Amino acid sequence: MLVPPIPSPDPLLLPMPPSVLKALLLATFTLHLMAVNLGVGGSLIAAVHALRGKPEDRELLRRMAPVLPAAVTFAITLGVAPLLFLQLTYGPFFYTASVLTAIPWAGLLVLLVAGYVLLYRFVGSVASDGVRALTGILSALLLLSVGLMLVNVTTLSLRPDLWAAHAAASPHGLRMNTADPTLWPRYLHMVAGIAAVAGLLLAGWGAWREHAYARRVGLLWFIAATASQGAWGTWLLLKQPAPVFDLLMNAVSAPSLTLWVSIACGGLALFMAIPASQEGSPARAVWGPFALGMASVLGMILLRDQARDASLAAFGFQPGALPHRTDWLSLGVFGLTLAALVLLVVVLLRWATQPRAAVEEQP
Amino acid sequence: MNHPVWDIPLLGSGWIIGLISIVHVSIAHLVVGAGLWLPIMEGRAQRAGDLELQAWLRSRAKALLWLSSIFGAATGVGIWVAIGLVNPTATQHLIRAFVMGWAIEWLVFVGEMATLIVLVRGYDRLRPRQRLAVYWLYALCAWLSLVVINGIITFMLSPGKGWVASHAMWDGFFNATYLPSLLLRTCVALVLGGLWALAAGATAGSALKPRILKPTALFALAGVLLAVASGWYYFQSFPPAARELVLGNLKGATSLARGFRWALWGLGAFLVPGLLALWAYFASASFRRPLALVGLLLACWGFGGFEWIREVARKPFVIRDVMYSNGIRVEQVADYQKEGFLPRNAWARTFAASKGDTDLARGEALLRSQCLACHTRDGYRGLKALTASNSEGDNEAFVQALRELDPALNPYLDRMPPFAGTEQEAAELGKYLSSLKSK
Repeated sequence: MLVPPIPSPDPLLLPMPPSVLKALLLATFTLHLMAVNLGVGGSLIAAVHALRGKPEDRELLRRMAPVLPAAVTFAITLGVAPLLFLQLTYGPFFYTASVLTAIPWAGLLVLLVAGYVLLYRFVGSVASDGVRALTGILSALLLLSVGLMLVNVTTLSLRPDLWAAHAAASPHGLRMNTADPTLWPRYLHMVAGIAAVAGLLLAGWGAWREHAYARRVGLLWFIAATASQGAWGTWLLLKQPAPVFDLLMNAVSAPSLTLWVSIACGGLALFMAIPASQEGSPARAVWGPFALGMASVLGMILLRDQARDASLAAFGFQPGALPHRTDWLSLGVFGLTLAALVLLVVVLLRWATQPRAAVEEQP
Repeated sequence: MNHPVWDIPLLGSGWIIGLISIVHVSIAHLVVGAGLWLPIMEGRAQRAGDLELQAWLRSRAKALLWLSSIFGAATGVGIWVAIGLVNPTATQHLIRAFVMGWAIEWLVFVGEMATLIVLVRGYDRLRPRQRLAVYWLYALCAWLSLVVINGIITFMLSPGKGWVASHAMWDGFFNATYLPSLLLRTCVALVLGGLWALAAGATAGSALKPRILKPTALFALAGVLLAVASGWYYFQSFPPAARELVLGNLKGATSLARGFRWALWGLGAFLVPGLLALWAYFASASFRRPLALVGLLLACWGFGGFEWIREVARKPFVIRDVMYSNGIRVEQVADYQKEGFLPRNAWARTFAASKGDTDLARGEALLRSQCLACHTRDGYRGLKALTASNSEGDNEAFVQALRELDPALNPYLDRMPPFAGTEQEAAELGKYLSSLKSK
């Protein structure tokens, strides 16, 4: 095998230990993913129920609509930080992959803006039900296709052995990473995950606000999407490169433990969600699958990271070994800014959830 | 360039950044200016008990949320995507140097979005004083994002010897052009935000219109006048070589001179919004939205001209005195000239190998890695046209001259990176340049 053309890392030192960077990467990615689940998955659910058009669906849509654009705003905003930390640690892989598939990667922005504008049209629409539902479906599909572009770059960044052939076949960066057998199963695994967690969040909200229809619909989405993971997840696992597959299936290792614990949590959540979704079941029945489902998501986020490191270790890359010199001053300013932000959000939430002002105080 | 090259025929990769940047920086500065304008107006409205004006301002906050959350955020990510594609080596270097700066800016941006969403969605629950406080907090977050990002942008023009020695983020952050640039950008933000508000206020009812337009016009006018003063201050803070590059290329028929003149016309056009603001102040009844929109367009032209001058003034660097525009670090040049560029750069080697590793293939690999950051083969700054009258010997001699590091022997050094390769590689690049004639 030819030596893959992996660029040499930047000579500047990391400003903090790689382990801290990894923690920041995973923490911010988790926040981003939750906002994506809520915004994109919620848009998908809302659009499908707009298509159904029954009175209870309209009511559900009315309750969900105001949250969706704000959730997508936060999905974008919260996505910046993990991308930043990712580039810092995995820069040579990430940048190479993004250049090799430059047009789809840059096209992500067009899809994002188009999906986002349509989402605003969808939630604020006064058009006919049919047009509105169509707008919603189109918006959800565009936002989901943003995920495809991300998966496209991510999968290519993990396969330096494919880079030279990809570059020769696509000198202007037009092609997607279709030579990688993990592209489609990984994408479908992600889409199903988004729909499942969005359903879980909806069910949790329904239980909290005593909205029986939302609770039931949310659980049904969770059940259907999670059940489909049997196909997408298995497909993805089988298509993993040999070192990763062996690590997950043929060894007792942290990644294999994470995998099986996550699957167990997800499976258990699925079985508990089925009775909880029946009409007449108590609202509290949601919380078991909710907690287990979230635990499964957290496990999968961790597993995703472990699989990435295992993939790149096969090419001699060890993120933990990157040289660093801790920049305490910058970390301190970051910490203070974070504390100020948390304080700001707490105050804002208190103000935004207080009872409405008397009419004479309103303009 | 240590990474693969995104080869964009005809247009060239720099335009991709330019097109996204024009949209993003205009929106970003407009949002900062509008963010400062909102609480000033809300404060006035509350003090006067003007509920109609407060309701109108609420609609402006909604419009701002739409503008900043969709187009501002998406084009901001867009610039990042674009610079990563066009110059991944430089982007990686900047991220290594300023990751905590970007992380802090990200926190501030989260605050910006959170305050704006609460303002729009929770408006009915906020008491008047709380509302005013949220307006101010939003303004503060929006301006602080400029405060932070300004440090990174100005670093690229004037990183300073302190940073070169220490590589400490704050040494690069508070550089020689930091403060003048911050002042200028804040003033530009006032102008853009003010014009945006004038455009919206011009359609208000006849009773409300003067209550919006008069203070807003003063806001925008102050921005124009202060921008002129801070612009002069900013230019004086340029590194001497950058100033000389601008002043020495204002005349002539080169594309650089034409670009500078176009930018200078834009700076002149930036004054027109000042006159329009006077109109809005003294004759608000006759002031119409198209006037404000024309003013906004002219201000964006002027601002674009300023950004273009700032970008070009860095030539031949992407980070002055640290990294050339093609991603080669200054200290790498000597090594590449001695040991060769291709043996040291995996992607250039990979490209040459994919084309049979002939002299022409190696020449093309060198062109992709060292020239395409600024040139195209046969489009924008096309090398085919630029070398059309050259013989093969001329082209080889030209590239050999570009290897010189003495300005007396290489007159292009003030605007083009030196060729970072051996004599043999220079000959290969010269051959490839000559082959463009037949393509």
